[in-house]
Amino acid sequence: MLDLLPHIINGLTLGLLFALIALGFTLIVGVMEVINLAHGSLFALGAYLALSTIGADWFADTGFGTWWLGLSLEIRYALALVAGPILAGLAGMALEVCLRPTYGKAPLYGLLLTFGAALVIEELIRLGWGTGEQSMPVPQMINGAFWMAGLIFSKYKVFAAGFAILVILAIWLFLEKTPYGAIIKAGSHDSEMIRALGHDLGRLRLLVFGLGAAMAGLAGVIMAPIWGLRPHVGIDVVIPAFLIIVVGGVGSFWGAVIAALLVGLSVGISGAYAPAWSMMSMYLLLIAVVGFRARGLLGRKTALEA
Amino acid sequence: MITLSDIPARAGSPGTPAMVLFLALIATAPFWLEAIGLYDYLGIEIAIWILFALGFNLLFGYTGLHSFGHGAYLGTGAYAFGLFQHHVALSLWGGLAVAVLAGALAGALVGACISHRRGIYYALMTIGFGQVFWFSAIKLHGLTGGEDGLLGIPRPDLVLGPWRVDLDDNTAFFWFVALLLGLAVVGLWRLVTAPFGRVLQAIRQNETRARFIGYDVWRTKWIAFTLSAAFAGLAGGLFAMAQESAYPDVMSLHQSGLIVMMVLVGGGLVSFWGPVLGVVLYFIARDVLGGLTETWLLWYGLMFVVMVMLRPEGLAGMLHTLRPRRPNAPIASLSAAPRQEPG
Amino acid sequence: MAIFEARNIQKRFGAHIVLENISLSVETGTVHGIMGPNGAGKTTCFHVLTGYHAADAGTITFDGRDITGLKPHRIARLGIARSFQMMSLFDDAAVVENVMLALPAFRTKSASAFARVFDDARLRSAALAVLDQVGLAERAWEKAAALPYGDRRALEIAVALAAEPKILFLDEPTSGLGTDATRRLARLIRDLRQRYTIVLIEHDMAFLFELADRISVIHWGQVIAEGTPSALKANKWVARSALGEVA
Repeated sequence: MLDLLPHIINGLTLGLLFALIALGFTLIVGVMEVINLAHGSLFALGAYLALSTIGADWFADTGFGTWWLGLSLEIRYALALVAGPILAGLAGMALEVCLRPTYGKAPLYGLLLTFGAALVIEELIRLGWGTGEQSMPVPQMINGAFWMAGLIFSKYKVFAAGFAILVILAIWLFLEKTPYGAIIKAGSHDSEMIRALGHDLGRLRLLVFGLGAAMAGLAGVIMAPIWGLRPHVGIDVVIPAFLIIVVGGVGSFWGAVIAALLVGLSVGISGAYAPAWSMMSMYLLLIAVVGFRARGLLGRKTALEA
Repeated sequence: MITLSDIPARAGSPGTPAMVLFLALIATAPFWLEAIGLYDYLGIEIAIWILFALGFNLLFGYTGLHSFGHGAYLGTGAYAFGLFQHHVALSLWGGLAVAVLAGALAGALVGACISHRRGIYYALMTIGFGQVFWFSAIKLHGLTGGEDGLLGIPRPDLVLGPWRVDLDDNTAFFWFVALLLGLAVVGLWRLVTAPFGRVLQAIRQNETRARFIGYDVWRTKWIAFTLSAAFAGLAGGLFAMAQESAYPDVMSLHQSGLIVMMVLVGGGLVSFWGPVLGVVLYFIARDVLGGLTETWLLWYGLMFVVMVMLRPEGLAGMLHTLRPRRPNAPIASLSAAPRQEPG
Repeated sequence: MAIFEARNIQKRFGAHIVLENISLSVETGTVHGIMGPNGAGKTTCFHVLTGYHAADAGTITFDGRDITGLKPHRIARLGIARSFQMMSLFDDAAVVENVMLALPAFRTKSASAFARVFDDARLRSAALAVLDQVGLAERAWEKAAALPYGDRRALEIAVALAAEPKILFLDEPTSGLGTDATRRLARLIRDLRQRYTIVLIEHDMAFLFELADRISVIHWGQVIAEGTPSALKANKWVARSALGEVA
């Protein structure tokens, strides 16, 4: 049983990062009733943009670039952790603008559009950074391993898990305790009511998409050292996200978190027995869950159900 | 604006101007393809993908069921054909029959698991199944050759009575594909203009009402899925012959997504011929645009996104608005006095 | 002879019990009304009686056979047809096709890949005959989505009629109609009652009391009263559930 412990911890770490992805995804589904198939590409975009921020990819030749590269990796990494998600968030907002003509039409069009956007973003990544796998440089202090209770743990995974927990709590505080968070929550219940109450629905959608995309981008930056950086990682992110919100309930915050941990655990543990097939377990789970019980543990009926 | 639900001007008969034009074009392609700067193998690819796309649109446009994982059935047909040649017998018709059956069987199994749904859940499940197929093709190295692919798939000779046609020649192979395509297109046209095709559309428009007037909606959706997978299987078998190999990448989400994009861009949501236009446009983009720039897929994707935003009726829909029309005409030339009214 | 009977129907959604104990019995050739305040469960009742939702308890019998738990398409084929309050049509299709799809003669050919559709004279004349009954024959070749509201209501009923049912369930057919259209609808129903048994949910009390032979009053998921219109006018339960005065 103790042999499983590293896998369980791996799974929990994965689960926390999945939670970050799924929360962004469910915000978008809640307020816009759009399944954002580009969520995975935004995840990748955030990671690649962070990579470029660290490496000063496009401005290395300038004076600013040389100064920048002179900074320690810790500082550059920390700033990339902010820059990547913000830029991904901006991309998300651009996507929201493109989605506007599809609001009010059949859900097919939103699905198709985000699908096309995923392809476009992945092609942009491929053209900008190449198809090969890249690696994200990580500061020394969170790199490497340490011993505890006779087992080896990865410093980075602990950092990743801890950071994810902080961000999840921050998002929760934002949604629960701030007035804008309240508007977002109300918007996922009834977007028409938001308008009736005098808030700008257009701006709300823009912001929520940006926030959701930023969360995906942040997850991308953090996961990059664990999963590697590839342009076509997108679908491996969207499928778990969708699975998680279906299991946890569309629109439920803690449902998504709990479901994410469960999914992460199942991938982690199946990784102990049949590592080559662990991603496949997710697709099979998706088929099983959506085939039989699509409303989840804590969710409400939405326009997704047709 | 045209829709698939328009009443065909010459109900059922395949003798429409578009059909005649299409059949003429594919029958003569080897003669004019090179004249416009293209090549034989491209003609083969286009013909195979048109076959795939038209069968796919039966499900996508007509029944309104959006499958983003249909490459799985093309791939299944390809592998089935190849494995048949390698392990059972060197046979053209045997191989193609197996390809069709394998595609249909795969489609029947998946369809049985998803036909109780529609909409977004349906789409996501098709993605899930597509990924399972793709992943399996990569991992089952012993069977499929994994990422290296199933190689050395032959093109068995076509034997018709005393004639033996060597299909290794691309022109001969093209005519073989064109023959199958022609038959398939005529058959599909008859199918969609027959009661079955109208019922598919009824289900697209209103599943609930269809149930309440007595249609077994689950079964019809399942049949539609299986049929479209059978067409995909046939296309896959032909594709395996064309490439003389089979790879897992045809089952990937990327490829499955391409067929969706082709069909939408061409106007499959509003016209029988939409998928044809879509496939042709894609291959022109790939070969012509691709010859000019490495970023052609990016432009194609951007074009797709813009079309979904502004012109989801696709090329066929846009072309239709260019034709002169009488305002406020009832939807078809059948108007109030249809032909052949007896007495 | 009761052609349709429901006994002790119960239906719950999660913890919420919508129908507690519904029983009703419809005599052949009559018009049976169902009324009740909003949220009483009338439409859920219809959904259960016509197979759209499965009942959690109770039995439904039609023409002597137990149809409890059968799927909607099987129930439809047995001769039960319904219309929908939120209109449920095939919007992209022509008016005539909406009706044609419902014709049993069409449905039996529906697996066919070779039969004719629009140039089949018998199907066409059968469809046009149904449209004639509801006054839509002139608009037969227009798209259903393009029809004005009142005509869509008529088409809604026409589709149900086309299925050649033995019993017709109409869910608030006067919804949204003005006085003229309502009067025409009343006339249509009076015509139809000579050939079909009709079960009718209605909000328009005057309409219901004028046409129905018997009425079941549903409130809080139960049938609180049942009888002829004149008997109900005198019933204090009916008055108490604030169903208002009927002239």
